[in-house]
Amino acid sequence: MENILDVNNLHVTFDTYGGKVQAVRGVNFSLKKGETLAIVGESGSGKSVTTKALMGLIKKPAGKIPEGEILFDGKDLAKLNEKQMQKIRGKDISMIFQDPMTSLNPTMKIGKQIMEGLILHQKKSKQEAKARALELLDLVGIPNPEKRLNQYPHQFSGGMRQRVVIAIALACNPKVLIADEPTTALDVTIQAQIIELMKDIQSKMDTSIIFITHDLGVVANVADRVAVMYAGKIVEIGTVDDVFYNPKHPYTWGLLGSMPTVDSTEEKLLAIPGTPPDLISPPKGDAFAARNEYALAIDFEEEPPMFKVSDTHYAATWLLHENAPEIEPPPAVKKRMAGIAGEEGSQS
Amino acid sequence: MAKYLIQRLIYMIITLFIIITATFFLMKIMPGSPFNNLGGKITEEQQALLEEKYGLDDPVPVQYFKYLTGIVRGDFGVSFQYENRPVTDMLLERIGPSAELGAQALIIGAVLGIILGMIAAIKHNTWIDYTSNIVAVIGISIPSFVFAGLLQYYLAVKWRLFPVSFWESPIHTVLPTIALMIFPMAICARFMRTEMLEVLGSDYIELARAKGVSNGSIMFKHALRNALIPVITVLGPMTVSLMTGTLVIEQIFAVPGIGEQFVSSINTNDYPVIMGTTILFAVLFVVVILIVDLLYGLIDPRIRITGGGKD
Repeated sequence: MENILDVNNLHVTFDTYGGKVQAVRGVNFSLKKGETLAIVGESGSGKSVTTKALMGLIKKPAGKIPEGEILFDGKDLAKLNEKQMQKIRGKDISMIFQDPMTSLNPTMKIGKQIMEGLILHQKKSKQEAKARALELLDLVGIPNPEKRLNQYPHQFSGGMRQRVVIAIALACNPKVLIADEPTTALDVTIQAQIIELMKDIQSKMDTSIIFITHDLGVVANVADRVAVMYAGKIVEIGTVDDVFYNPKHPYTWGLLGSMPTVDSTEEKLLAIPGTPPDLISPPKGDAFAARNEYALAIDFEEEPPMFKVSDTHYAATWLLHENAPEIEPPPAVKKRMAGIAGEEGSQS
Repeated sequence: MAKYLIQRLIYMIITLFIIITATFFLMKIMPGSPFNNLGGKITEEQQALLEEKYGLDDPVPVQYFKYLTGIVRGDFGVSFQYENRPVTDMLLERIGPSAELGAQALIIGAVLGIILGMIAAIKHNTWIDYTSNIVAVIGISIPSFVFAGLLQYYLAVKWRLFPVSFWESPIHTVLPTIALMIFPMAICARFMRTEMLEVLGSDYIELARAKGVSNGSIMFKHALRNALIPVITVLGPMTVSLMTGTLVIEQIFAVPGIGEQFVSSINTNDYPVIMGTTILFAVLFVVVILIVDLLYGLIDPRIRITGGGKD
């Protein structure tokens, strides 16, 4: 299938009082038409910054894209100016935000907030935009759309607000939808509803979705492919099956190991020791080496390249080098992997 | 809404009653009588006669009761100093210049302050921001009569750009308006800058950007209204400080307004005029507060008085 988005060697930096933070340090991935790519990783790994770069929402002048390209529709988004990006944002690429309680304008009727993008990008008249807004509210499962259109955000519950945010994002039939932890701020029952809604919408609209999350359970449920980010880089990327059943990077092992499962029998959850590196002066070699119990001598010297595991599966760890010793994932992680398989089986 | 308004009206009447009562008794505590400062032009007998005529020989509670019944009938009494002129006439004649000066200063000051605050927020941490901050701090900390003096000295006396005083043509209103508007401008600028910065950093502004909305639309359609909410809150007390500010400014620029008359009526113990002016100020005050509260609801749907809650 054709790629709708190609990100090559993307770098994002932020100037701060402490120095230049290298938030994203050479990210490569592609997004195919109609697929869902999940980006996982702990806080500060650069997931959100990567997607903000795709939207052109990196705050200047502190934030910069010094290197790399974002190829979309024959254009390099990294090179476009603000005016050109405004024509793409909300029309071709749109975004669902994390916290629905704060991401809607409290003093604007939700109908107007949905219609704004339609009037702006599709040059629709007020009447046409309103008709489309009603359609969208219906699509995202908000009852009484006629009445709801004239209400303000404070008259909606959290889950309903997130549906409105999704309706805004979908308004112009975007080719790429970025969901930045869309369920983190919601309670668990609502989370499941929103996930179902997004899956449903994708099957209807054939949009490509980039789904940022740190909930691996959600990943297994929604994604086709997974990219694992650590310290501003993608360390492992592959299909859900590749990454969940055949993880190669020790960091992915750590993430899987620290994930609670329904039938966990151990007293304690496994945690990844240590803290992520300081991105003002990233360490030499593999950024994960200091926290990695399987680190090889070379991990402290040289950055590992992306090793190919299969046609769909790549990981950046020296353990995949032909001269590296054979290392199996820890038994606890293997058990978790079996656990996920069970959970996924029961969900579908 | 109607129920709310009626409720507010009752509160307003109670507030006014308390203000009238307090002012009346405080005024009576003031030493002297309206007729004892005529410089010995009248004898004590004449003074006693005058006091009897105006009911000033009655016990204070009786005077108070008489005054209240007068107000209810719409009779605010006559001035002791100006040939028995009714207080209502005197106030009506004088309210024009005061209202004009106050309204000009408030509107121009608030609008300029809001614009200044917005610019400072957009260009925050640049020299524009620092300049506007300094201007705001100066405007808040230096009282209006100091500006009045400086303006008169430089713009009127030295450079002869504007008349020094009096209230005859629009050009006469320039200096007093500037002197009076600096405070509201500074307050609005400070509030607006802080609020605007907070609003511009909020999630819903980011979402608007993500929709592809242009910077101008973000400012005026999304940010301005939200940033205005706290500014509206300070407009009420600010209007009050403008009212008291006019007292001084009118004196300095010889504006024939209520403030000037108020000050002279206090100096001469002209009881009906003191009371009338106080009541007028009090009424303006409570009405302004009501307007601010209604405006608040107009701008922020979350505190709108009518309309259903969550459903």
